[in-house]
Amino acid sequence: MAGLNGKIREFYTLEQLSGGSTVIHRLHPGAKLLTTLVFIVTVVSFDRLQFRQLIPFLFYPALLMGLSETPWGLAMKRVALALPFVVLAGLSNVIFDREPVLALGSVVLTGGVISFASILLRTFLTVISLVLLIGVTPFSDLTGTLRRAHVPELLVTLFEMTYRYIGVLLEETSSMYTAYQLRHQKAKGLELRHMGSFVGSLLLRTFDRAGRIYSAMKCRGYGRNTGGAMARPWAVKDWAYTLTVSGLCVLCRVFDVVTLAGSWIGGLLP
Amino acid sequence: MHTPVLMHMADALLAPSVGIVMMIVAAAALAYSVYRVKKDSTLTEQKVPLMAVMAAFVFAAQMINFTIPGTGSSGHLCGGMLLAAVLGQFPAVLSLSVVLIIQCLFFADGGLLAIGCNIFNMGLCAILIAYPLIYKPIMKKGFTNGRAFLASILACEVGLQLGAFCVVLETWISGITALPFGTFVGLMQPIHLAIGLVEGVVTGLVVVFLHQVRPELLEAALENKSAGVSAKKVIVTLAVVTVVVAGALSLVASSNPDGLEWAIGKTTQSEEELEPEAKYAAAAEKAGAVVDATAILPDYAFAGDEENPLGTTVSGLVGGAICVVLAGGVAWLTSAKKRRKVNA
Repeated sequence: MAGLNGKIREFYTLEQLSGGSTVIHRLHPGAKLLTTLVFIVTVVSFDRLQFRQLIPFLFYPALLMGLSETPWGLAMKRVALALPFVVLAGLSNVIFDREPVLALGSVVLTGGVISFASILLRTFLTVISLVLLIGVTPFSDLTGTLRRAHVPELLVTLFEMTYRYIGVLLEETSSMYTAYQLRHQKAKGLELRHMGSFVGSLLLRTFDRAGRIYSAMKCRGYGRNTGGAMARPWAVKDWAYTLTVSGLCVLCRVFDVVTLAGSWIGGLLP
Repeated sequence: MHTPVLMHMADALLAPSVGIVMMIVAAAALAYSVYRVKKDSTLTEQKVPLMAVMAAFVFAAQMINFTIPGTGSSGHLCGGMLLAAVLGQFPAVLSLSVVLIIQCLFFADGGLLAIGCNIFNMGLCAILIAYPLIYKPIMKKGFTNGRAFLASILACEVGLQLGAFCVVLETWISGITALPFGTFVGLMQPIHLAIGLVEGVVTGLVVVFLHQVRPELLEAALENKSAGVSAKKVIVTLAVVTVVVAGALSLVASSNPDGLEWAIGKTTQSEEELEPEAKYAAAAEKAGAVVDATAILPDYAFAGDEENPLGTTVSGLVGGAICVVLAGGVAWLTSAKKRRKVNA
């Protein structure tokens, strides 16, 4: 099951990446979360026919991918994963919106083509901003931020434990599937009639594991409210990063930077 | 037959107003679920690791592809109904939401802004509506294999149909795609009818297996008082929250011509409602707005040659090209540091 093994690899790759020590990794997790949200909201706030206004937003991933040493291959794979539904919706624009809106020489572009391009660029920008957030922020830092934001403890604990056990259960599923394949070598995948006992067995193993985890938690003092790690306060660099990135996003939303740059260059020409 | 591909809303197809409204609705549902789980004395702290590991289980179970007889295609379990059947509805809401958020963050299934939509479409529709209204009443009559399959299939069908319809509604209101509402509904609902059937059969198979080996697990969830909340109360609360939040946000958004207002205006203003002159005026205005939004650089030209329309296009192309080249340059320069480090 290549998909399963691929997920396990991806999961651990992201975890390793988030443990880096670049200048972006060292920023406060709250600053990174906030700027990612501002970036995404700004990008998706454009109308579907606005394409050129999105171009300046490419600077964000361009700069951060390099500074954080996040591999482009991984990011592009994520973008590709998000594409099927988006392409379906985008192609419908090409089919249904045939109003010519722009002529580049003899090539006439319809509203559908421009909105399709806009949707693809939005997908690239929004997905890559999330990859960047997770690639540079350890999960424990993110849950720490949630805790400090007064998100209920039950929910935060669920996040932490689910995250921790996803890898474990993926590996367990992979082992069970390998065993199944060895017994059913001709089968392309799991047969539907075996699905009940296969998933049911995985579920029972999961229950047993939950019991062991609970015992281990109690042995380590769970429920005595030992308090989380001390929060690192926001430093000047965190404020500077948040204000600069958010400010630039808002500026690019309010002003047509591409237009201004083009006219400025036009003015320089003799 | 991969439900997440079709059901996971992406940020790119969503208007911010829709995303934020659905985030608030999902946050309210999560807060209420946390309250109910904490309040319920039968849900001891032992349930916390169980909820967490069950969430991880759903994640792992979604990776298992199975072949659908006679079709040659494959599918996988979504797990919402199974979670509700084993944990009860409010713990299931929390577990499934955690799965969806982790999928969004780590595997690009859905988006950060769209997380509220995804929790609503894939979690709340199935667990807070289909489970208490369909699955639970059928199973309360006593366990038989037939009832387990009937309850699972019906509940999965209703949950997925509701979820798929919400996907269409949210995408349509956002106005990013030009796909007509009717066509979109006609595309999504039949696909999810088939997916719901397969999901229901698999859920039924697992429920029957569990009943054979550990019947107390299913009985505990059915007897769980937290699952006994009035479905009507939940639906009314969700509807009221949605309407209030949407109303409040629409007032704020009314000064902004983008997004929701544009989409609603576009879809509600039919041609029949306009006088001929007004129709042409509206068409001209719309065309002007489209050109204004899409011409590479409106209102700008080469210095000293403001009358030349070519100037606007050229300056736009130049501006766009500069941005792309500069962004590429920034990426190359920042990556150069990494390359040097690797070579050293």
